[in-house]
Amino acid sequence: MNPFVTVWDFFGRLYHRLASPREFYKISRFTTPVFGLLFLLLTAAGTYLGLFVAPADYQQGDSFRIIYVHVPSAWLSLFIYMVMATAGAIGLIWRMKMAYVVVICSAPIGAAFTALALITGSLWGAPIWGTWWEWDARLTSELILLFLYLGAMALYYAFDDRKTGERATAVLAVVGVVIVPIIHYSVEWWSSLHQGATVFRAGGPAMPSSMLTPLLLMALGFTFFYGYCLFLRAQNMVLHNERNSRWVKDLINELE
Amino acid sequence: MSPTQKRRFTIVAIILLGVGLATFLALRAFQENIEYFLTPKQVAAGEFEPGQRYRVAGLVRKGSVSTLDDGVTHRFNVTDCKFDVTVQYTGILPDLFREGQAIVANGAFSDTQTMIAAQVLAKHDENYVPNEAADAMMLAQANACDDATDSVSY
Repeated sequence: MNPFVTVWDFFGRLYHRLASPREFYKISRFTTPVFGLLFLLLTAAGTYLGLFVAPADYQQGDSFRIIYVHVPSAWLSLFIYMVMATAGAIGLIWRMKMAYVVVICSAPIGAAFTALALITGSLWGAPIWGTWWEWDARLTSELILLFLYLGAMALYYAFDDRKTGERATAVLAVVGVVIVPIIHYSVEWWSSLHQGATVFRAGGPAMPSSMLTPLLLMALGFTFFYGYCLFLRAQNMVLHNERNSRWVKDLINELE
Repeated sequence: MSPTQKRRFTIVAIILLGVGLATFLALRAFQENIEYFLTPKQVAAGEFEPGQRYRVAGLVRKGSVSTLDDGVTHRFNVTDCKFDVTVQYTGILPDLFREGQAIVANGAFSDTQTMIAAQVLAKHDENYVPNEAADAMMLAQANACDDATDSVSY
């Protein structure tokens, strides 16, 4: 048997199972606590290594350690928007219910990570740059991303009809994805106060592994936290959206 | 994909392309306004209007830093290793301010070469280096222009 076909087949089946609200609910009852546990383990390890093991920076001293919250938050703010755009496109093209749920449930989590990246960046900028805020390309484009997230949330709830709201939000998610490359390349395309990329750059990361390892652990931990929050929110939304269906009623009867 | 799905796929792709193109053109049109600072090279080429406020960024030229008699006004050159701009600033300099460090000065030009700055910010680079190598790093930073034959970026 061709192993590639088997793996492909597995993901194909998983995709189709996740497409069904009922199957999604069953799977997420299992995956949500797993994601939560992985988040706790990875961020605990990352926090310990980042605060106590990684050496201080030669010019920023200990204040550089805010990187372990700032950079993972900023990465997640971009990653979550890309997930939303992909899910939005799937929803619009294949009219898949669960894709819309992913778009709408991701928006507040993405907004929170964007806000965290902006706030920690501001706290970092004050002592190191000498300013809380500057209208340079990186900071401004990240702020626009926050408004896109807030706009997506507002748009969904602006419609009385759920289906219209889902579609409008999916369109915004797809269209807004142009901001992602702009944010990433803002420090290369234009002069800015924000420095260039440290990790994803030609020639490899510009920091030793003792500083990089905790950063990657935190980033992975934050990603599982996103998964955890997304699945929890999606469970609620699925139950709400499908509240008139047989399986949800059965579920409620079981509880009572 | 069914024909309906193919049609929707095309619509999504066209919208995305259109928005991407529109954004690209808009950003191109505003290129100069999005740039955060002028380089000393641009200043040397006279790419500024007298009396207007600008930001200039460059490395603090080794040996150029002096404090005037009032004790709070600093004069120094920012450089890209080839062209220099003199900055005069009254106030407290950022902690990271030192020879070879990239800084951003915000102010207006009093003549073709000198900026009277209202604000000086430190612009640190993407390198993170453990503390124990601090002395070597600082020395290398201060001498950043020694071997440069042309304008450097920062």
